[in-house]
Amino acid sequence: MKTNRSTLFIAFAVAILAIAVAFPGQSAGQTAATKSSGGQGASAAHWSVQVDAIEPGNVDLASSFQAAIYENLLDELRKTGQFEQVFRDGDRGARDIPNLLVLKTVVEKYTAGSETRRAVTTVSGATKLTVQSQLVTRDGKVVFEHTVNGDVRFFGSNLRATHNLAHNIAKTVQKSSWSVSEQRAAVQTGQL
Amino acid sequence: MNCFVPWGHKDTRSGVRLALRLLAVLACYSLTALAQTTNKPESANTPFTIQATHILGFESSKNNSNGSLSIQDDSLRFQLSKKPAAQVKISSIQDVLLGGESKQVGGLPMTMGKAAAPYGGGRVVSLFAHKKYDIVTLEYVDSVGGIHWAIFQLNQGQGELVKKELIARGVGANSSEGQSKQSTAEVTNENK
Repeated sequence: MKTNRSTLFIAFAVAILAIAVAFPGQSAGQTAATKSSGGQGASAAHWSVQVDAIEPGNVDLASSFQAAIYENLLDELRKTGQFEQVFRDGDRGARDIPNLLVLKTVVEKYTAGSETRRAVTTVSGATKLTVQSQLVTRDGKVVFEHTVNGDVRFFGSNLRATHNLAHNIAKTVQKSSWSVSEQRAAVQTGQL
Repeated sequence: MNCFVPWGHKDTRSGVRLALRLLAVLACYSLTALAQTTNKPESANTPFTIQATHILGFESSKNNSNGSLSIQDDSLRFQLSKKPAAQVKISSIQDVLLGGESKQVGGLPMTMGKAAAPYGGGRVVSLFAHKKYDIVTLEYVDSVGGIHWAIFQLNQGQGELVKKELIARGVGANSSEGQSKQSTAEVTNENK
């Protein structure tokens, strides 16, 4: 019985080792893919983006939330380093930029949460935001369109949902196929 | 005993009493007048200062930092202790919006304390460890036309003072009807 157990243990250890040997290859592949994506992101640095004011749509959203989404979006897009310049809505400097995309954000859904309820119950009181994000060229062509969520479920103030949302939008833009194929196509056809 | 007190002395004592009563009345009157002066919005040239927490968006100020928000002459300033003040021209402020939020008091130590409390005692503490704040959202434009949003958190009741002060100095407040409706909804939600 003891021999069986030790055999099983050895087999288990060998299996883990085998996986460990096989996994680095996959991991390296993933890293390479991420790097190449990052490289394409770097090539996207020829493009600039202007963040439009947040449209509340039909949602009764507090102005502080609109403001926080807008400001956090500017920060998060700058952090990604994907765009050469990040302009604010109304910035006159963006007029002369040849390769400019406009990021439009429309709020689709908002669930007002409560920090107190989150702290007391843990499972309820989450603040949730869902927005439709679009990257649009000067001539109105939509090159990127995604529905993105942001929420705060456990700790933090309600406004933290806006930070999470902005982070998710910036990451989605960065990882989107736009930064690889659409952009190249757009460059080739001269649409951007 | 009274027969030994000369008439002149009695007159002096009652005179002193009368004077004391008059002084008390005067003191009450001046205190009331002082309180009324404090509640009244300041005139256009008087500096107005209030303690505030900068949530995000105001010029170069650090997010979630405590300092003093002041309105003086033609500028709105936010000053952190021992640091240069960040300021914007009041003429560049386009809108001022007022909202409300209920937040946990005590910061990280309170959170740690709640987590360490046995038998879920932290949840009970959470019920009482929240405070309502006013949230003041400002929209202003920079020198190149870019739209900025700044959010400040103030003690309950002080947001209205800031708003009145800014309106008195010519800031357009097409703001508050809609916003107060939203903020009330937010506060109501917090009370649930």
